[in-house]
This record gives sequence, C-alpha cells and structure tokens, in this order.
Amino acid sequence: MLRQLYNVTVGDIKKMTRPILWTIAANLANMFPFGFMVLAVKVIYEYYATEQTVLNMPLLWSFWGGMILFIALVFWCEQRSYQAVYRGAYEASAQGRARLAEHIRQLPLGFLLSKDATNLGNMIMNDFQQTEDAATNFLPQVISGLVIPSLSFLGMLFVDWRLSLAMFAGFPITLLILGAVRGLERKFGTSHSEARLVQANSLQEYLLGMKVLKAYNLRGENFQRLERAFYRFMKESIKLEGALGPFFIVAIAFMQAGLSFITMVGVYLILGGSLTVPIFALFLLVGTHIFDPLTVAIMRLPAFKYNALAGERIVTLLQQPLMTGKQDSPPNHDIRLENVTFAYDQKVVLDDVSLELPAGQLTAIVGPSGSGKSTVLRLIARFYDPQQGQLVFGGSNQRELDPEKLMKKVAMVFQDVYLFQDTIRNNIRYGRAEATQAEIEEAARQACCHDFIMKLPQGYDTMVGEGGSTLSGGEKQRISIARAMLKKAPVVLLDEATASLDPENELEMQKAISRLIKGRTVIMIAHRLKTVINADQIIVLDKGKVAEQGKHEELLVNNKLYAKLWNLQQQTSGWRIPSACKPVY
Amino acid sequence: MRLLKSETGLFRLIELAGEKKALMIWAGIISTVSVLFLLIPFIAVYEVMAELLKHAADTKKIDSSLLITWALRGGLGMILGYFLMYIGGMLGHIAAFRILYGIRVRLADHLGDLPMGFFNKNATGKLKKIIELDVEKIEIFIAHQFPDLINTVVMLVLMIGFMFFLNIWFALASILPIVFGFFIQFSMMAGKKAHVGLKEYFDALEEINTSSVQYVKGMPAIKVFGQTVHSFRRFYQDMLNYQKFCVQYTDNFQNSYVSFRVVVLSLATFILPVGLFLLSGDPQNVAFAITLLFFLVIAPGVSTPIFKLNSFASSLNIIAEGVKRIDRIFAEKTIAEPQKGQKPTSFAIEFREVSFAYDAKESVEVLKKISFTAPPGQLTALVGPSGSGKSTIAQLLPRFWDVKEGSITIGGVDIREMKTKDLMDVLSFVFQDTFLFSDTLYNNILIGKPDATPEEVYAAARAAQCHNFIAELPQGYDTVIGEEGVYLSGGEEQRVSVARAILKNAPILILDEATAYADPENESQMQVALQELIKDKTVLIIAHRLTTICEANQIIVLREGKIDDMGSHRDLLSRNSLYQSMWQAYTTSEDWQIGELGKKEVPV
Repeated sequence: MLRQLYNVTVGDIKKMTRPILWTIAANLANMFPFGFMVLAVKVIYEYYATEQTVLNMPLLWSFWGGMILFIALVFWCEQRSYQAVYRGAYEASAQGRARLAEHIRQLPLGFLLSKDATNLGNMIMNDFQQTEDAATNFLPQVISGLVIPSLSFLGMLFVDWRLSLAMFAGFPITLLILGAVRGLERKFGTSHSEARLVQANSLQEYLLGMKVLKAYNLRGENFQRLERAFYRFMKESIKLEGALGPFFIVAIAFMQAGLSFITMVGVYLILGGSLTVPIFALFLLVGTHIFDPLTVAIMRLPAFKYNALAGERIVTLLQQPLMTGKQDSPPNHDIRLENVTFAYDQKVVLDDVSLELPAGQLTAIVGPSGSGKSTVLRLIARFYDPQQGQLVFGGSNQRELDPEKLMKKVAMVFQDVYLFQDTIRNNIRYGRAEATQAEIEEAARQACCHDFIMKLPQGYDTMVGEGGSTLSGGEKQRISIARAMLKKAPVVLLDEATASLDPENELEMQKAISRLIKGRTVIMIAHRLKTVINADQIIVLDKGKVAEQGKHEELLVNNKLYAKLWNLQQQTSGWRIPSACKPVY
Repeated sequence: MRLLKSETGLFRLIELAGEKKALMIWAGIISTVSVLFLLIPFIAVYEVMAELLKHAADTKKIDSSLLITWALRGGLGMILGYFLMYIGGMLGHIAAFRILYGIRVRLADHLGDLPMGFFNKNATGKLKKIIELDVEKIEIFIAHQFPDLINTVVMLVLMIGFMFFLNIWFALASILPIVFGFFIQFSMMAGKKAHVGLKEYFDALEEINTSSVQYVKGMPAIKVFGQTVHSFRRFYQDMLNYQKFCVQYTDNFQNSYVSFRVVVLSLATFILPVGLFLLSGDPQNVAFAITLLFFLVIAPGVSTPIFKLNSFASSLNIIAEGVKRIDRIFAEKTIAEPQKGQKPTSFAIEFREVSFAYDAKESVEVLKKISFTAPPGQLTALVGPSGSGKSTIAQLLPRFWDVKEGSITIGGVDIREMKTKDLMDVLSFVFQDTFLFSDTLYNNILIGKPDATPEEVYAAARAAQCHNFIAELPQGYDTVIGEEGVYLSGGEEQRVSVARAILKNAPILILDEATAYADPENESQMQVALQELIKDKTVLIIAHRLTTICEANQIIVLREGKIDDMGSHRDLLSRNSLYQSMWQAYTTSEDWQIGELGKKEVPV
C-alpha cells in the first residue's frame, strides 16, 4: 500500500498528506451523526426493554441537534477535503510532469534515442493522467474505507468484544484472498498496460505513416496491425475486468457475512443472557454501515493499483542516471578521441578509435554507410558517453564537463531537422533566447532564409507545422543553419544533407554553410567526396575503425578505400535516368 | 461514411450504448436485480431488530430460529447480489469495450479516408489523444453510469412505493433528500457553470499532448539549444494552464458535489425528527418505533447505490465533450468514392486545366490551370524552384487531395471515377520521406504486394540492392527496425521503399527524387535499383538534380504553379531562361567545395 502510494504520488508522498488528512477528518466528522443516531436508537430500545414510564424526548431531540451540528461540520470538512484532494492532485501532476520533462532533458540523448519517443510522450501524458485519477478518485475512497472501519472496530471492542470479533470473523479470509490475487493482479495489469502501449504506438505509426498507408491500400480496415492492437486492448480490458472480479466478490462476501455472524452470535448470547437487546441492536446498526466503505475500498483497489503501475513507470524513469560532470568547459576546443569503443546495445559501432580534431580546422569524416560516421559526431556532442576510452575536449575529459555548458560550445546542423510548431522567428530564436529581432534577421540573411521567409504570408511570424511539415527540406535545413549561426558556438558539427535539394536550394545551402563555418572548428560528415577535398584533414572510417586519414591528395596516392570511393563517385556523379526507360512499344 | 449525429451530451451517449443493445439491456436488468438482492441484508437486519424490539422487555420470548433464518437469508441475498452485480458488470463492460473497439476502428478507418490536408492541420498528439483517451472515457458511461442510473431509478421507484405503503411521512423524509440530490446532479449537468472551462480544459489537454510529443521528438534540438522545460515553447505554460482549468472545472462542482454527498449520507438526519415527532405523540406505540427502525436501517441500503451517481454530472460532461471531439472527426468530409468504379486499361496520365489550393478558403492557388500529358511507357520529369508546385502534382495523382478545378485522368478515366483501391493498384511511389513500419524488414517490403511469395520478396530486395545489407543484419529479413538498436541509413531505407515499389510492379511510377542519396555507394546502387524499377512504366519524376533527368522523354518546367515550358533537355537549355538558370545553379553547386571559403578566414 505504501509502495503504491509512493508511486501514485511519483515519489512525493508528502504532497498528499494534506488531502489525506482532510479526507480522514471529513470521514471522522461523518461518524458523529451516525453515532448520535445509534444513541437515539439505543435510548428507544432501552425504553421498551426496561419498561420505563417516560421516553426521554429532550435527550432524543438533543441527539438530533447534535446530528445537525455535525452535519455542518461534515459539510465544511468535505469541502476542505474536496479542495485539497483535487487541487493537490492537479498541482502534483503539473509539477510532476515538469519534473519528468526536465529529467528527460538531462538524460543522455542516446538513452532517449534508444527508447521509442512515443513511450516518453505517453508517459508525460497518459501515465500522469492515470496517477491523477488514482489520487483524485481512488485515494480518498481507499483511505476512508480503511480508516473508519478500523476506528469503529476498535471502539466497538470496548462495547462488546465477542460481537466485534463476530463482525470481522470473515475478514482474515478476505485479506488472504486479496493477498493471494496480488500476483494475478500484477500479471493482468502489466499485460493490459502493454496492450495499451502497443495500441498507442500502432496508432502513432498509423497517423505518421498515413501517406504510405494510402499509397499501398493499407488504410482503414486494411491496416490490420492497428486493428489487432485495438482488438488486443479490448480483450485485455475485458480480461482485466473479468478475471479478478470473482476473487474480489468472494473476498467481499466473506467480509460482509459479518452481518450474519453478528446476528447468529447475538442470538446465542442473548439467549444465554450475557447480552442486552440495546447492545445487540447497536451492533446490528453498526453492521449495516461498517462494511460499505470497506467494500468500496476493496472494489477500488485494483484500479488504484493499476494506476499506481503508471506511477511506477514514471518513478523508474526518474531513477535513470543523469549525465554527470560539473566543470566549466575549457577555453580551447581541441577534440581528441582516445581509444574510444562504442556500441549500441550489442552492436559495436566504433572499435578502439583514436582521433585528433584540432581547433580551428576543418575535419571531414567519410566512409561507407554504417561505418560509424554519425556516431563520432554524436559522441562529440555527448549524446552518449563511450563504453571504453575517453573523449578529451579542450584538454579535459568530456565526462567531467557540465553537459549544458558543453552544449553551449557546440552547434549542430544535422540531416533530420526538427522544427517546432511555433513561429519561424521563435524557431530561429532557439539559437539564442535573448537575440534581438535584428540579430535574428541577420542570422536568417546569413543562412539565406530571409528572402523566402519574407515571402511567407506572415513573414517571421508564420507558424511552422509539426516537425516543420509546412516547409520544404531545403528551407528547414537553412532555418537550422540560421539557428546555429545565432548560437555562435565555436565548434560546428555538420552532417551533409544526403537528400538532394533542388539546385537553387542547394546553392543557397552551400552559401549558408560556408558562412556558418567561417572561423570555427568544424567536423563534418561528407557524403559527396568532392565537397571536402579542401579539408585540413579527411578521416576515412570503415566498419567502426579508422581506415585511413590525411589530405585528399595523400589519400588518393594511398590508393585504398578513399581512392576507391572517389573513383566510384566520379563515375556516377548523380544517378541518371538510364536509357532503358525510353519507350518500348 | 456516417454523417454527424445531431445529438450531443447524454442522448448521444445513450445512442452509442445502443450499439450493443442486447448486452446493455441484460446488463441493466441483471444489475437492477442485483441491487434489489443487496437490499435483503438490510431487510434482514430490520426484521431482526423489529423482533428484538417487540420482545425487548422479555428476551425469553424472542424467536431465535426466526432470527437465524433471517441471518441466513441476509447472507444469501448478499452473496447472490454480488454475484449478479459481477455478471451484470461484466456484460456492461463487454458491451463497453466492444463499443470502444468499434469506435476506434471506425475512427481509424475514417481517418484513412480523409485528405492529407487534414493531417497537416491536426497534430498527431491531438488525434492520438482523441482516439485513446476520449474514446476510453466512454467506458465509464456505458459500463458504470448507464447501468447505475437505471438500477438506481428502478430501486427508487420500488422503494418509494413500499415506503409510502408503510408510512407517508417517513417516506417523504427519506425521498426528499434523494430527490434533492438528483436535482443537484441534473441541474449541474445542464447548468451553464458546468460547461464553463470545459472546452478550455479539453483544449489545454490537447495542447500539452501536442507539446509533449514535440518536446520528446525535438529533444536533440532542445538539448543543443539549452532549452529547459520552463523555457521550451509554451510547454510549461500548457501544463500550468491544464492545471488551472482542472482546478477551475472541479471548483465549479465543489458545492454541488459536497452537498450531494452530505445530503445522501445523512438520510437518517431527515428521518429521525419525523420519527421522534410521531413517537412523542404516542410513545406506547411499538409499531411506530418499528417503522422508524425500518427507515433508519434501510437508509444506508438506499443511499449506497445512489452514491455511485455522486460525480455523475461532472464526469458525464467530460465524457460528452470528448464524444463531441470524436464526432468532429467523423464529420470531416472524406474523399468521395465512386459508386461504380472504372478501371483504366492504358496508363497515360493527363492533367487537364488543373487548379488547386491546399486550403479551400485560401485564394492562393498552388497550381493554376495546369495541362500536360505523361505518355505511357515514357519518363516525364517535373522541375522548378521550390514552391513551384511540382510536389503538389505528385500528391494529386493518388488523391491525397482532390483538384479544385479541372481533371486528372489515367488512360482516359478520371481518377475520381476510380475506386481508391483500383487507383492505388496502378500507382506506385518512392517518396522523399520514406516511412518504415516498426515491423520486420520482410513485412516492410511485403506491403508492396501482400500476397507475394518469399521468393518474390527476395527478388525485389535483390533488384533494389537491399538484399546484401539485409543479409548482413543479425536477424536478416526478420530484423525489426528500431529494435536492438538496428537502424538503417537514409539510403538503405530508401532502397527498402524501392523494393516495395518493385514488388508492387504497378504500371505507373511516381518518383520523388530525394532518392539520389549522395553517398557514393548508395548512389551507384540506387541507380541500379531504379533502372530495374522504371522499366516499361509510365514514370513521373520530381527532379532536383538536373543530371538525373537529362535523358527524360519530356521535361516540364514549373514556375509559381504554372507550366513555364516543356520539352527535352536540349530544347529547354536552348530556349528557356528559367531552365538555363537552374542548370547554371546546378552545375555551380555540383562543383562546390567546402573549406575554400572557410579555410582562408580561420584565425590561427
């Protein structure tokens, strides 16, 4: 129970103390009107039992007065608890979301890339919504369901311990059953959560892949995978609802049988003369009330635990280690890889690679696909820490540097440009938050975007679609260069775009890149070897190892992999439509 | 598809529940019977207490076997009641989850029929939220609220009858608070206050959904540019807004919710004074006392089921608002499907006076009266500056959008007269943005022709130059993209999509030439792959690198949505100024060498 509470509150139980205390207070207050009623019934019974001559009406009326008084108190407490519960839960989840989002940001990017990004988005949304539900709907009911009966039971023990025990005679069995199904509950809950996740992912895929789906006639009912995911989720939902139900029903039945036990034991005792009628009546009345809150609590428990699973996922993610390092980044920007080995899961991508990337120089990295080019850039940007060896940035081990300060030194222009659903101005402003409009425009001019931006309906205030969907590839690339330009970072990491742009875009891109790298330390992945023949140094990677390195001419003389690639590219230099496509009538 | 139903709110929900009418009726009947069975323990207690009261003065006269019988009856009633509650609940849940499943399938199906423009306007996060969460909430109504409402009403009617039969004053004292409670619920549901903030609440929820998806997907950019959750876009603000609207919405219900709770909880407080009043007039009358007891004992039995309705109003409104959003998707107009589809027998593509604008309301036309023919078995290339409309032309052919004016025909058949399936059967594509599903590579290729034999799949992969790199992967064709850190390079992904197209072997091929992946090995392999693909086809190619299409049969030069010129490379180079300048730009960019400019200015 405590663990669930910990998970539901995402590790911050204290937040829920106030709501829980108010809920308990409201429930306690609620016991008083009932208590007065029970007293009134007792007085009436005593009147008939002892053949008193006068029914003590003033006393009875004063009981009623007490009920009214306490109902006012109940009302007040209920209001407080309502506020505390809902506000508390919403506040907790807003803060929790922000905390999780902030935590995700500080994780190594590699970790984020390894997980499906959808799952994380899912976590921020659905999982927090579930913990919210648990905290608002279930928590108060579960807690009040436990507090009131326990207190009543303790109180009733003093009145008559035999009937009290009879009342809860079935309860140990209830607990046993509930304990026994815990494993089952977890099993069904987990597979239901999985089905939910599969559904979420398939749906995301369906929406993002819509074009392909349409083109291959897979849309709608033909898209079986999504349909299967919906179907599986339905099955799992029904299973979760149905499989555990009988256990809970039996558990509740054992508990509620207490009412029958009271009657039987009461009859036995009263015939034996060791129980008075008013006490018996009192127990019967309490017996009609005491099990309901417990029943509600038990019925709510599975849902509560299920939602706590969502909290558990969040807590697990929050426990992922953050990137380490506190040092300021050093003033110089020589970069060195020393015996770096790196693997994604099991697949070794860089194998004992050592490189010198001197400051102020242009280093090109070339090689066949899968040779580890992108990984080198990602390591320099510290998306990951290498498993073996180290990266030395300006003389310090990169692991010791504060990742955020390191990031300030590095600008990246990668192939997959992600623009945010925001104005173009703000998208460029990500480069430097405090940049003025003049600076933004200057950066845009330098990156050859100003002209096309001005042609857009709202100029710099034009909204960009999700992921940049409303702009062409070349335009997105140039905006990402403008961002990098604005950032003024001394180290520029470039991944030459492989997707071809139309000639005018291509030319503009090239101008923009030339301006961006001016006076900076540049490490660039080149796909077209011609682009980088002037580089200070060309590093040729092959299957995760450095095959050769040197200047263009030296490498040609070497006559190894580079020379081979160069010749191959000279031959093709952009594919042509072969003559085979000419009409064949 | 179905039209938007005019009903909203409660009636629309009941309509949805009606989709599984038989199940719902049984769920209602059984759960009502269960509620009645669950009253038996209370009646048993009453019977016992009455017997005790009658013989309070002389306990020897108590009929112990009667009491034991009632104890057993109470226990049995309780057990049966819960058993039936389970059965009824299961029926309700089965109905509910089937209905949700049905709605989701229909929604997905409907989305598939919508023009692509819809997806540009509606972020993925928002649509996901509707299909997952908004649909999910309907379950609460169908499986819980609806049966609860029915059985509460039935129980109340029966109870009221019985109570009035016993004693009108007690009956009034217990009924009035309940009626009052119901009144609160329904006035809240219909009340203006209940809807204040509801729309904002939903909008805020959709907003954080969208921004959280972006936050996660844009993480590389966020990290590089040193954003925090507080500075990132409006994400933090969205979260605070959501919190604010949640609080505001629940605040609206505070007093009614609390009043309902307190009133229903304190039935005894209403009953007791009536009893005392009656009793004070005639204290000797045991019958009065017994009736009083009956009402006091039965009160919690009545209020427990009613209690289930405590947040009926607030959650019903939330569910209904979600349904509104679902219905809004259903109301989106799909691309019209012809009654009787025609099939073309030849495969020339003809654009006749085609005009098109992405937004019907917008006057900016992307294409203005475009006319051209792409002859069968020939290669037609589209070139032009960005924004000239060349990609749009390729998107109109598969009816991702419908033309505004004019017509597009394949072999003389208007594409709007063809069934979508038949249209797609004659087209294949290689898009700029390849999309692989997180499935095995084998299945990703199989998409091209679902009934293909393994041999055909391997042959297509070989022809598309994928076979070698796939064979090198740890699980070969069974490798699932994205699992175990296996990702393909851009060029490899593109070749997989070429393999799909080869497998499909449709007579018309639309090629968006980002296919020219520039790294050397890819380039030469793509060339081989495409050579295979375009054999004997009607090919429409959107070209960026002009060398690609030098030898095309026909090149169409586009400028701002109009055809500037068309002809062969040689013709255009000699007469068209736009083509000349593009060729000029192209040759310059081909010779670009980085570092020339950069190196000179590097301070040492």
